[in-house]
Amino acid sequence: MEEKKLSEEESLLIIQQMIQTAKQEQKDDGKGWITWGWLLFAASISTFLNLQFHWYSTWIFWNMFGVITLVFMLYAVIRGYSARKTERVKTYTKDLFDKLNIGFFIFLTIIILSINLGVGPVKGFALLIALYGFWILIYGAALNFKPSIIAAFITWGFAIGGLFVPASDFKTIMLLHGAAVLCGYIIPGHIAYKQFSKLQKRGNTTHSV
Amino acid sequence: MFKDLDPILHSQLRLAVISLLISVKEAEFTYLREKTDATAGNLSVQIQKLKDAGYIDVVKQFKDNYPQTICKITPAGVKAFEQYVKDLQSYLHK
Repeated sequence: MEEKKLSEEESLLIIQQMIQTAKQEQKDDGKGWITWGWLLFAASISTFLNLQFHWYSTWIFWNMFGVITLVFMLYAVIRGYSARKTERVKTYTKDLFDKLNIGFFIFLTIIILSINLGVGPVKGFALLIALYGFWILIYGAALNFKPSIIAAFITWGFAIGGLFVPASDFKTIMLLHGAAVLCGYIIPGHIAYKQFSKLQKRGNTTHSV
Repeated sequence: MFKDLDPILHSQLRLAVISLLISVKEAEFTYLREKTDATAGNLSVQIQKLKDAGYIDVVKQFKDNYPQTICKITPAGVKAFEQYVKDLQSYLHK
């Protein structure tokens, strides 16, 4: 970029181009939604099938999910640390997501505790679905990603439905949980991934938020 | 009556740098150089001018034994940029 006298129109063009360039840093590849979405979906549907066909104890697939979660979280921490090392730009969105992630996991832990302290698994899973909806809405709003904004409301629909499931009907809440994750995590995640791949092919974006 | 455009910002490269920094929390020198397509020497000079005007903060540090320069817009920089855009609009609407 050479130095020269600028006209007002040229100034405006530079501002537009640079803001547009910076905006492209605020794209997500959707991989997090896809990974967690399929894991949660697999745990829900496996639990449903397990209850239907009486294979093992009720919580076996959620316990397996818990172990996988710990491994993934460890991987995410290591990956996040190495990614931070190569990061050349910090966006406000990334900063917001990092902080909200902490809040999300604290809230998640409180709900899991409440399930064990008397709220019960059916109502507890309905609350979990509601929490997913909140995070999905924030993500959609921060990145101006409409599929997630729509998905948040669909997810809340499943959460409200879950509140009316009888406390003894764990199979139904597992189906609702699976459906909520499919609509809230998996489908928007794949749409985000497709859009991000397209942008990368065009060379418009380098890395995900 | 039209106000004069801020001479610090009314320059192609400095305006590009401040426009990038207004949209992100902070950015490395190498990122700014890549996005503005400027030479390292020219960019250093313009960054210094923005720093002298109090529009950006520049932090020089070492990362993995390599020097790293991080730039961040200051509240004065944000205010100057907003005023610049306002003045620009008044010129364009005259």
